[in-house]
Amino acid sequence: MGIFVERNKLTTLEEAAKIVKDGDIVAIGGGLCLREPIAMLHELIRQGRRNLHIVGTAHGFDVDLACGGGIVGTVEETHVSFEQDFGLAPNYRRACESGAVKIKESCCNTIINQLRAAEFGMPFVPMRSIKGSDEIRFHPEYKEFTDPFTGKRVILVPALEPDVAIIHVNKADVHGNVKIEPPYVADVLFMRASKKVIVTAEEILPEEEMKKIGPTIPYYEITAVVHVPFGAHPTSCYPYYAYDRAHIAEYMRAASAGPEVFKKNYLDKYIFGVKSHADYIERVGGEAKMQLLASWKESHEKWMELFTYE
Amino acid sequence: MSNGFEVGIDELFVVNVARTIRDRSTVFHGVSSPIPMVAMYFAKLTHAKDMVYFGGVSSAVDPNPPFLPYTTNDWVMIQGRTAMVTVDKIFDLAQRGELDRSFFSGAQIDKYGNQNVSLIGTPEKCKIKFPGGAGGCNLSADCVNYTIWTTRHRVQRKKDRVIYTLVEKCDFITNVGHVTPYGNRRDLDLVGNGPDWVVTELGVFDFDPETKVMRLRYLYPDTTVETILENTEFRPVIHPDVRIMDMPTREEIELIRQIDPLKVRQLEFQPEELKRKFYI
Repeated sequence: MGIFVERNKLTTLEEAAKIVKDGDIVAIGGGLCLREPIAMLHELIRQGRRNLHIVGTAHGFDVDLACGGGIVGTVEETHVSFEQDFGLAPNYRRACESGAVKIKESCCNTIINQLRAAEFGMPFVPMRSIKGSDEIRFHPEYKEFTDPFTGKRVILVPALEPDVAIIHVNKADVHGNVKIEPPYVADVLFMRASKKVIVTAEEILPEEEMKKIGPTIPYYEITAVVHVPFGAHPTSCYPYYAYDRAHIAEYMRAASAGPEVFKKNYLDKYIFGVKSHADYIERVGGEAKMQLLASWKESHEKWMELFTYE
Repeated sequence: MSNGFEVGIDELFVVNVARTIRDRSTVFHGVSSPIPMVAMYFAKLTHAKDMVYFGGVSSAVDPNPPFLPYTTNDWVMIQGRTAMVTVDKIFDLAQRGELDRSFFSGAQIDKYGNQNVSLIGTPEKCKIKFPGGAGGCNLSADCVNYTIWTTRHRVQRKKDRVIYTLVEKCDFITNVGHVTPYGNRRDLDLVGNGPDWVVTELGVFDFDPETKVMRLRYLYPDTTVETILENTEFRPVIHPDVRIMDMPTREEIELIRQIDPLKVRQLEFQPEELKRKFYI
């Protein structure tokens, strides 16, 4: 964790993305279909970042997009899929099977404990629950060790300190105070464990307003703040919007058809071919789409409809 | 065939998974787990009212969702909750030996209950990449017990080969069963006792207490011991008292339909399996 006391951390996607360097260990916030920092990933793809070492627990759209966008060198995740909705992640699978990305698969509690070691300022953490699994084959850095107190064998896993965490949040102020609605997934752990933290926020609040609601994370842990409404689209950012299942279906059609089709029908259309995030939102359906995705709160029936429309 | 009320394989399957949950236990399901999600919610409303229900990745305590979603990390899954915890607290509970049950599946499941959710090939040269085990590697070691489920027990016949899910030996062990090439659970000093039930679309198994090999306990009304043997690469132990499973009640099936209007329970089944019908 770094300490960042600047009074005004508000910047643009373009500038904030420059904090992420080629080869960095990058923690991506949110998970599966919820609150993933997609606008920032778009910008990293546009800027042509390379060889990122992505770490996280269970993810989907974000990691698949980053693999398809060519910015990933290593994936240290525990699970990458579109779950029961759309199934296996096409770009991620292709990248793993072709050798384009190095697989460093891990397990949720292992990663969480490694982040906690970084948060505690400790070099490693002992664990029992990796023994017996072949997951150890992904991690030559783990060391087997005899616990000097009980004489039992444990596995020592090193602290995990990402270079940068990129997290999409509900609210922030310009000082960097951040409010996240639960579930936090691993976001708070990422923020505490990483050297730098970039947040993209749905809303920027006056500092006095933030004081009233109380931040989830205080300003001194945050490096940069970017105001990006709908910055998690097509994943969800409740209470603002549900996930955009129709858009994910379109994404899946492009991604499943191979890298060329994915480039032409998705990357060119939604990332390289747009001038800004606002332009991207227009292209995915603009105000009408955003209103539709906000309709989850009207009734349970409306919410269910969002799970069935394509 | 008492009154001819029709039940689908998906509904019967949910009941079988739910039956592995005991009341007053602490229970968690992970990602990509539609059937455990329905089964846990069903159990909480029926025989396990005092179970401590951790609603998946979103980690809500005792949620009461208006419907069950296509993903485990939607806000639907935190509605009506008593509290939120962070996911690390659930893993801490497991590490201390206080998480009673979880649920795991696998593209390959071997006779000792090890599961492969990672890959075919090697970490360096991967032929087929599966999604990964999420919390499975750690939780399969730490949970007091866990239920294995698969809706793909029936072999897939390709032109030149037969693909088994229940295999003699996993190409890669993601989640730990009873005996691994690195030793058994006692040798490994693991906290939990391992898998105790395996629910498939062809039968329900436990494990032989001596050999720790999967043991057939229950058949569906339309499966036989021969069905099991044809579709299993290893030779399971056959319990001397293999029986047709007890059928659920009409009320139980109606409850499943009510809590799962989007039929997420069907998503894991092959379309031809969903044609199987049972009558109570």
